[in-house]
Amino acid sequence: MFDKPIGRRTLLRGAGVLGASLLPWPSACGAGEDALTFFFQANPDEADARMRIIEEFGRRHPDIRVRTVLSGPDPMQQMSTFCAGGRCPDVLMAWELTYAGLAERGVLLDLNTVLARDQAFAADLKADSIASLYDTFTFNGGQYAFPEQWSGNFLFYNKRLFADAGLRPPPARWEQPWSFAEFLETARALTKRERSGRVTQWGFVDTWVPAYSAGLFGMNNGVPWCTPRTNPTHFNFDDDAFIEGIQFYADLAATHHVAPTAIDAQSLSTMDLFAAGRAAMAMGGHWRYQTFVRAEGLDFDVTVLPAGPEGHGAQSDIGTTGLAIAASSSRKEQAWEFVKFATGPIGQAMIGESGLFVPTLDSAIHSAGFGRAHRRIGNLGVLTEGPAHSGYLPVTPAWEKINALIDRAFGPVLRGTRPATSLKTGLARDIAQVLSNP
Amino acid sequence: MTRTRRRAWAGRVFVAPNLAALAVFMLFPLGFSLYMSFQRWDLFTPAKFVGLANFRTLFTADPLFLIALRNTVVFTVGTIVPTVLISLVVAALLNRKLMGIGFFRAVIFVPLAVSSVVMAVVWQFVFNVDDGLLNTMLGWIGLGPVPWLVEPGWAMVSLCMVSVWRSVPFATVVLLAAMQGVPETLYEAAKIDGASEWRRFVSITVPLIRGALSFVVIISIINAFQAFDLVYVLTGGNGGPETGTYVLGIMLFQHAFAFLDFGYASALAWVMFAILLVLTVLQLRFARRVSLEN
Repeated sequence: MFDKPIGRRTLLRGAGVLGASLLPWPSACGAGEDALTFFFQANPDEADARMRIIEEFGRRHPDIRVRTVLSGPDPMQQMSTFCAGGRCPDVLMAWELTYAGLAERGVLLDLNTVLARDQAFAADLKADSIASLYDTFTFNGGQYAFPEQWSGNFLFYNKRLFADAGLRPPPARWEQPWSFAEFLETARALTKRERSGRVTQWGFVDTWVPAYSAGLFGMNNGVPWCTPRTNPTHFNFDDDAFIEGIQFYADLAATHHVAPTAIDAQSLSTMDLFAAGRAAMAMGGHWRYQTFVRAEGLDFDVTVLPAGPEGHGAQSDIGTTGLAIAASSSRKEQAWEFVKFATGPIGQAMIGESGLFVPTLDSAIHSAGFGRAHRRIGNLGVLTEGPAHSGYLPVTPAWEKINALIDRAFGPVLRGTRPATSLKTGLARDIAQVLSNP
Repeated sequence: MTRTRRRAWAGRVFVAPNLAALAVFMLFPLGFSLYMSFQRWDLFTPAKFVGLANFRTLFTADPLFLIALRNTVVFTVGTIVPTVLISLVVAALLNRKLMGIGFFRAVIFVPLAVSSVVMAVVWQFVFNVDDGLLNTMLGWIGLGPVPWLVEPGWAMVSLCMVSVWRSVPFATVVLLAAMQGVPETLYEAAKIDGASEWRRFVSITVPLIRGALSFVVIISIINAFQAFDLVYVLTGGNGGPETGTYVLGIMLFQHAFAFLDFGYASALAWVMFAILLVLTVLQLRFARRVSLEN
């Protein structure tokens, strides 16, 4: 077949043609290019329920295709990179602590501009919304997201372990809190050790972010994180009562040994400990519900956080995520339909019925569907009354910098190598500096 | 077109794609980052010229810069010294004519083939305080558990250990290649003169592979100064615990991608470049002087 050897030029030409044919030619639209993109974060158990909501939206709006973009471990970084690179998803999940950074930079659309054109929906939303959650996404006069879920923290507890230890069930309502001392005694009674000292059952585990949890204990000792809530000018790390709350939380692991230390947490998943019945109480939000409800043989309920001696009752935090629309979106109308669905009465009722989230509309949170989806929870009031008993978290564009400072300063406090009072000087001063020069 | 001109034209055509890639992926980012180092820019709002403010803040008002610089120097020294020493020993061992030496030469290269992220994840398990391999082994000889990645001081030690593990294969291959270029006759003459094996290594091998050693040191310094992936996976994006592993690479990443302060991050990148340039020039001059003296 080849009676002549292939010449160098022929070979090069052939290689050139082959290479060119392999190049990915730009196409008008790749797969899903014509779809509405929705960026969100979810653990695997949550993602299933989330997809059901999206499918339902697809059934009601067959003309709008939704392409999901699941976030990695750092959604803020991912969103910034996408949006700066001109590939901003049309609908973005927004977090109470971080959205202000995007809003200030003009990444998010002010939803008031769209609400003004949709007066009927605006009126319904206003009447049905839980104000503290709605206002979380109000920043510098704009509304940059609508809340989709209340993700405040409370305690899950293992009913069987309480009964085995001969303990009375913990409080069922936010209005009937227990004290720090009662909580500690309960955690002590529920912590079991082998003769060698190795813990076989923890009284308390934290499935949230330890530094934030410590701050929540500070809040439950009567002091908010910062003042004012939006664009704060002061963080209360120099307040004695706030510091005492943080110290109480740190002591649970470092001094009282009723909770895993940072070293223990290296090899243990606190969520798995509770799911496996090796921890009696777990602090977390509703995002853990899907995991715990699927855990085999786990009989659990929920209870409120303890209140400190300086506290004014028990409270959770206004953890909330919302849905925002990218200011640069070319599908704003479609995005608006999606946001309206997920945060409006229909979507919220569905969310409540699915057990995915604690919804943020009064009609959905107090609906029969929400109750049916949480049949295994006796103290449903902990969830339904949670938003009304929540203290705020800071809303500031400088959060990323402040968060890095908090992460750095809390390490030794939570390990028990430095007292929480050390935060009064170092951290308080550093944050003040960031706030004065963001 | 004459044959010479045609060949010259063909040469330019062949080089053009590489030059274009160099311009797009190297020269443009370099120039752009230099431009950005004099701006305040958060990716979304228009950049604002701030003159030398970024550099001034870095040198006079950012205490974390000195911490990051100190940590980077500690990490660099903690990586280079053991890497060079271990690589010399390993290369000397692999330079022997033994049966199956090819297998060992291949094995020593394995860590280089593993991605840094995978390596860091595996080492996380090794460093686990309660159930990790290292503490289990220390337990066998009666030593208490070490809080490897939990205490700031130990976290830096852990980081250096992983970095040495990653750096040794490359250094070994370079040094081994250099050692194989040393004339056998020199060793034979030294042997006849009664020189011990250690003496032959110190007086013949090491001086004759000085060029390769110098190359290994420079490359290791550059790699150590640019350390990011290992630290990010092993101890997190904040260079924790506390500031235990807060190195310049982490500081740069944090300012660029967490704080979206690209102007400041660019200024830091150019300061890192300047430090590396000075170190490399000094090292090359030192190596040349020693070589001339010999």
